[in-house]
Amino acid sequence: MSEATLVAHGKSEPLTEDWLAVVIGGLIFIAALAGLWGNDLLGWVVTTSVWTDPTAALAPFAKTYAALGGWGALGATIVAFAVVLSLGAVTLGISIGRFLPAFLVTIIIAYAAWYLGSNAHLAAVTLAEQTKFGTDWSLKLTNEGGYIVALLAGLIIANFFPRFADWLSAAIRPELYVKIAIVLIGGFLAVTAAAKLGFASSLLLRGVAAIVEAYLIYWAVVYYVARQWFGFKREWAAPLASGISICGVAAAIATGGAIRARPQVAVLVSSLVVVFAVVEVLILPFLAQTYLWNEPLVAAAWVGLAVKTDGAAVAAGGITESLLLAKNAANGINYQPGWIVGTTATIKVFIDIFIGVWAFLLAWIWTNFINLAPGAERAKSSEIWQRFPKFILGFIATFVVGLILALTPATAAKLPSIIAEANTFRVLFFILTFFSIGVLSDFRRLWQDGFGKLVAVYAVSLFGFVIWVGLFISWLFFAGIKPPLVS
Amino acid sequence: MSKIPANDVLKAELNAEAKEPLLPIEKKLIVGSLTLGIVLLVVLGLVNHFVPVS
Repeated sequence: MSEATLVAHGKSEPLTEDWLAVVIGGLIFIAALAGLWGNDLLGWVVTTSVWTDPTAALAPFAKTYAALGGWGALGATIVAFAVVLSLGAVTLGISIGRFLPAFLVTIIIAYAAWYLGSNAHLAAVTLAEQTKFGTDWSLKLTNEGGYIVALLAGLIIANFFPRFADWLSAAIRPELYVKIAIVLIGGFLAVTAAAKLGFASSLLLRGVAAIVEAYLIYWAVVYYVARQWFGFKREWAAPLASGISICGVAAAIATGGAIRARPQVAVLVSSLVVVFAVVEVLILPFLAQTYLWNEPLVAAAWVGLAVKTDGAAVAAGGITESLLLAKNAANGINYQPGWIVGTTATIKVFIDIFIGVWAFLLAWIWTNFINLAPGAERAKSSEIWQRFPKFILGFIATFVVGLILALTPATAAKLPSIIAEANTFRVLFFILTFFSIGVLSDFRRLWQDGFGKLVAVYAVSLFGFVIWVGLFISWLFFAGIKPPLVS
Repeated sequence: MSKIPANDVLKAELNAEAKEPLLPIEKKLIVGSLTLGIVLLVVLGLVNHFVPVS
């Protein structure tokens, strides 16, 4: 992604992008809820089954829209996404002429990757499934392996077709797509939490530990390493510490703003965060599958703590869920889907909540003790709200509404199928997220002359400390706790 | 939107030898964060131990 685009994404957009995510996610959720009164407004959305016959893979979500057929549903989905997101792009100040063609190509490639990932040779898990599909081998990724295919497609474009990646850049907005997905996840988590209320509340308690770890432990260690071991100045060390410890892009930019660093410092840190996050997405889920397959929630918490950027963390959670569900299913243990990725997303949301508070604290310290200058602007408490990731409000809203409806006898029975319909949109936004993250990840950035020290401090902090402490804390709090089984 | 100016300037800065020594407030921030973080993790760990998952 061009650095100009990074600046465009980082400078004034994050707040607007957050509210856009709330609006789009909220509208999808409300439209899905119309089903409670017998109005299926979203049943035309396309779904993809595991396939060997390519003509039988696609279908609309609801039988009432069967007349559309699979390809009709796909067309309707692409058109709907293009219209809604183009309108959203206009609110972000992006020209439709730039956005729409790029988005159409983006969604077509991304969905093609998902479609390919649903082929039985990639997705079939158990021997029974392989027999059913007539395949004698399979990578056993479940159809969520399509996320990996989408990510790989993006990586190939980023690293081998950089001009094409640049042309796509107007539509490559992983943070927007994952924020919309997280807003929708709120409703999904509410339905699963309502079924296991005590279990869910215990998980929330353990999520608090993640906040403590990220802000108070990771940040302090990474800041010290950056300042003392690598000799970074404060202007660099603070955004680096936030980017590596808290939440990648958003935290680095919030911190840069708080300490009044030059914008390009935070943007450069952010670009490295994205690349390292993708490296983690490609490694950690497979490590989890090998070593943590019998501790799925340890794995879920671990990737939520270790992978920075919302998009990559939730992406890693999705791949981890796919791999762990598959491995456990192969061993006869069928966990309910959604708990692993839900745990990862919840951990990330908890960490995100306090970005504004942390940014204000740093701003207060810098303006009162470090950047002292006569008449200099002091930190304002309004920065807490200004830096608060607004999309979390959407997540909380869909969670609260979903929970109320799930606990209300009149609506409880109908709600799971309605949320499943909304969840189909969540999957689609995940696919866009995975592909977009791949397109953003130009690994050549790691080898740019002069940035070796920046890469080194990131590598040392992440792979020398953050990942292992994250694993230890996740083990302490989640070992022995398993997701509910499919009933 | 303007491009990031002068990456060469940033590279030169990153590779400059001059260091900024840690100020007392930075040391307090590091030590204070670590201490509070470890104490809170111990507290949460004890809660985790004594409050079993339902």
